[in-house]
Amino acid sequence: MTTANDAMLKTERQPWGLRDTIWTALILLGSYFAWDVFGSLMDVYEIGILIGTAIFWIWFGRYWPSIQPFTYATALLSLLAIWTYVQNDNAYSVSETAFFLKFLVSSQSAIMWMSALFVLSTVAYFGGLFGKSESVSKFATFLAWAGSVMGSVGMMVRWNESYLINPDYGHIPVSSLYEVFILFAVMTTLIYLFYEQRMRTRAMGGFVMLIVSASVAFLLWYTFDRGAHEIQPLVPALKSYWMKIHVPANFVGYGAFSIAAMVGIAYLIVAKLQEKNPNSDFVQRMPSLESMDDLMYKTIALGFAWFTIATVLGAMWAAEAWGGYWSWDPKETWALIVWLNYAAWLHIRMSKGWRGKPMAWWAVIGLLITTFAFLGVNMFLSGLHSYGEL
Amino acid sequence: MPNPTPEKAPKKHRRIQWLPFLGSMNLAVTLLMMLAIASVIGTVLQQNQAFQDYIIKFGPFWTQVFNSLGLFHVYGAAWFILVLLFLLISTGVCVSRNAPGFLKDMKQYSEGLSLNAYKHQPQSVTYTPENFDSEQAEKLLQQQGYKVRLHERDDGLTVAGMKGRWNRWGYILTHVSIIVICIGGLLDSNLLLKARELTGNLAPETRSVPLGEIPQKSWVGSDNFSFRGTVNVAEGQKSDVLFLPYDRGFLVQKLPFTIDVKDFRIEYYDTGMPKNYASDLVLTAPELEEPIEKTIEVNKPLYYKNYAIYQSSFGDGGSKLDLKVHPLLAREFKPLEMNTSVDQVETINTPVGKYRIEFNDFKLHNIIPASEEEQNETGKKMHNNGPSIVFKVRNDQGKAWEYENFMTPDKQDGRWFFMTGMRTSTAEPFRYLFLPADEGRGLDRFFEYLTLINDPERTQATLNDALPAEGVDERTHQMQLKLMNQLLMLFRRQGFNGITSFVEENVPPEEQKRVRDYYINQTSLALQTLYLSVLEKEETQDLESISEFNKQWFEDAMVVLNSLSNYGPPLYFELENFTHIQSTGLQITKSPGKDVVYFGSTLLIIGVFFLFYLRQKRLWLAFDNHHQTLTIAGKDTKPLPETEKEFNRLVEAIQAQTGIKQ
Ligand code: HEM
Repeated sequence: MTTANDAMLKTERQPWGLRDTIWTALILLGSYFAWDVFGSLMDVYEIGILIGTAIFWIWFGRYWPSIQPFTYATALLSLLAIWTYVQNDNAYSVSETAFFLKFLVSSQSAIMWMSALFVLSTVAYFGGLFGKSESVSKFATFLAWAGSVMGSVGMMVRWNESYLINPDYGHIPVSSLYEVFILFAVMTTLIYLFYEQRMRTRAMGGFVMLIVSASVAFLLWYTFDRGAHEIQPLVPALKSYWMKIHVPANFVGYGAFSIAAMVGIAYLIVAKLQEKNPNSDFVQRMPSLESMDDLMYKTIALGFAWFTIATVLGAMWAAEAWGGYWSWDPKETWALIVWLNYAAWLHIRMSKGWRGKPMAWWAVIGLLITTFAFLGVNMFLSGLHSYGEL
Repeated sequence: MPNPTPEKAPKKHRRIQWLPFLGSMNLAVTLLMMLAIASVIGTVLQQNQAFQDYIIKFGPFWTQVFNSLGLFHVYGAAWFILVLLFLLISTGVCVSRNAPGFLKDMKQYSEGLSLNAYKHQPQSVTYTPENFDSEQAEKLLQQQGYKVRLHERDDGLTVAGMKGRWNRWGYILTHVSIIVICIGGLLDSNLLLKARELTGNLAPETRSVPLGEIPQKSWVGSDNFSFRGTVNVAEGQKSDVLFLPYDRGFLVQKLPFTIDVKDFRIEYYDTGMPKNYASDLVLTAPELEEPIEKTIEVNKPLYYKNYAIYQSSFGDGGSKLDLKVHPLLAREFKPLEMNTSVDQVETINTPVGKYRIEFNDFKLHNIIPASEEEQNETGKKMHNNGPSIVFKVRNDQGKAWEYENFMTPDKQDGRWFFMTGMRTSTAEPFRYLFLPADEGRGLDRFFEYLTLINDPERTQATLNDALPAEGVDERTHQMQLKLMNQLLMLFRRQGFNGITSFVEENVPPEEQKRVRDYYINQTSLALQTLYLSVLEKEETQDLESISEFNKQWFEDAMVVLNSLSNYGPPLYFELENFTHIQSTGLQITKSPGKDVVYFGSTLLIIGVFFLFYLRQKRLWLAFDNHHQTLTIAGKDTKPLPETEKEFNRLVEAIQAQTGIKQ
């Protein structure tokens, strides 16, 4: 009798099943393969990162099962790209000629696909919301997933391509402003999709995908106007295993903060409309104010936690690259400003119990501060952070 | 929303209560925001610049105001340190006030409350079960991650459960970590040096003088607690001191070891971008039996005891330079040989004065973005202009001109030029002259030509030979030649502009245009004639038809001659040969606070995750013997929307076990 109850209680945590076994086996196999082929080229930290990533990914696949098909799709398409390159003697130039690469999975094509899918997804989310169509909203979710897959395929293939152009250039694509924008778009979408599932609502998708679309717009401008998509070798300061963990951790933070701000905007709109007409269709279709408020808190908490990790890792890296863990360099200082801002936000909410509109406004302003730390510093202030000047 | 911590009732009124104020959330948030704003100022206002730059930017009044507010050194300003200190105190007070309560709260199962109290918990249900087995209930709660305590009441039994109590440790860890990090930061700050400065036995050096001339007051012994400074060491040299930037000058830090720099290398990508910087070091110290040999790179420092040695920059370490000095007013082509090196000062006596030449830098590569045309041709994005020297020429009055001369000619629009840049202030960019290379890619033709123009006698003779009197009498011809000579002098001194202004000053207005055209015509004729005689001397030239190259060369030379008068002192330095000696810029730190900061950071990360991802929940199953009812009550320390749902799910599970009597 107890077992039935347990099953009911543990609706969130599925028991270990075949699916998890396959997942774990494939992750282990993949990691072993990576170690077998590239192990001789890795230093001890990189092997540590590989092991850590494998463990994290196994856990993460169980914690959030939807990441499993996402990972499979990314892996298959990336392998298709790599296989096509291998078929063509690993010449980078075939990205323009080989069919699969040219139209689907060369990093440039994949990123263009990602851009298109994210924009379409934004449109579809709003279409579903205003057209009151559940199936359109569902399709929007699918598009968002597909866009994320193409984005991560783009990054994986770009990683490979950087070695094809010249083994000297090879590096994980998280080192230029162009590359981190892709990371931002994918990260933000994935974090949103996670909460979309948890909250069982798609009504906020359009709002969140709006900021993803904005980053796509920047990306396209950066590609076509500045040619930023070209793969460049790394400057010496960026050649560090720290970069591989510092940057992604940072972007969990940026992504989560952006979602909080977009939810904040949705909150303010709904609150405004509710005052006028609490029974309007739009208000009815949007999540309750309370749950949006809660989502803001959860995303800011998530962002804060990862941003803390990223800043600490950044300090450790700085200690190794510049000889000091803290130099009051503009990028560092702005990271601190962002961090202090959200610390204050969390304090006010946790201890003063503030809720609602002021916190939503604050989350929106927080995004302005975050955007400045992310982009503005590179554009307007000079410092030791040498990557990605516009 | 109500304040979740109403327990703290104010005790005494009227008197300001310092401790509650210091530990208050309002103060904490205010301090956090103040720090943030100060940091914004620190990044928007460029820090630690030369005072002159600020005055240019803001004017004397605001510079004064900003300076007295410490805005040019925000992170060292007294008020900034004060805010930090307050944050430290405030956090300390906060932790010491809250932590005991929290620690107690972690152990509070509240199993001893009355039945009625449970009924008034935020979540509560009462029903009549078919059966109630406390052991089964206990097991069920344990499966859900609760720790359980049993309590016999007079009127029944309470099973109390709690989970997520580490959440409370999250608060303690995060806040203690802030204190730890601040202490670590203070350990690495220069507070001790500041104190020594206040007591007057430390004064930074602001001049740039040799090490031996720096007074003892600017030296710091190796007992210094923490420091971070830099030193440039040339290849093959060694150093046992370090320079610490301090206020508007620097201090000299004695090191307890010596560092020999065997070699410094830069590796390049095929694009010409630097790929890596590396120095081969040998570290010797009295306590070491064997010296330590290590190659350091960017991101790969050498750690020795509590010192760390980083590759931080590079420069010239006194490269040897073999130069040819061309006096630009000389009448014969006979350059001076000069053997010198970077960081040397040479003096040259010329008929127009005595000059000091300060050789500041030598660069082996000058990588610049390639022109679009070149990109299309070679497919390379970067272009290497080759070796260059940077030097200053200073006259008797101390006025200086700074030059950047390239060793090899560079291709522009299909022609080859020696570039030489000049400026009179470091705030300006260099303005370049492009000396055209001859067919041997050298400067011989240019200086043959220049010295010929400089020499009135040779000029006179050449013109005499080349321009015979045709249709005019000898006297007129001689007058014309003399005029040409004078025009050439004028041209050499001030270019074509000189001729124009001469005409404007000395000729009646109605005649000016005609005279000017005539003069310029005559000057050009003279210059062309002289050029032909230079070509003639080269022997390989065919004078019947002047080649495109030679025509173009003449035009390019005209551009240079025309502006040579703005080139400053009449000297051109041609780099013939060099021996490249580099120096490596080492940053050396002693940072006792580093590990403290890292420890604090670890606490912080752990604490933040405890805070956000562990939720402290309490649950009570209170059985009432009299009425045979079961009260299930729950309370989260920080309720979230899902609290209610989770509680209901748990109630359903318990009810499925106990059954419900209708
Ligand atoms: C740089 C300094 C500080 C930082 C980074 C910091 C950070 C945090 C964080 C991240 C939280 C978690 C909020 C949550 O529970 O979700 C928190 C909670 C809290 N902080 Fe701070 N804090 C700082 C200084 C202070 C100070 C000076 C006080 C003094 C009043 C304070 C009082 C509190 C209180 C009362 C809580 C709520 C604890 C609870 O009820 O669980 N904090 N702090």
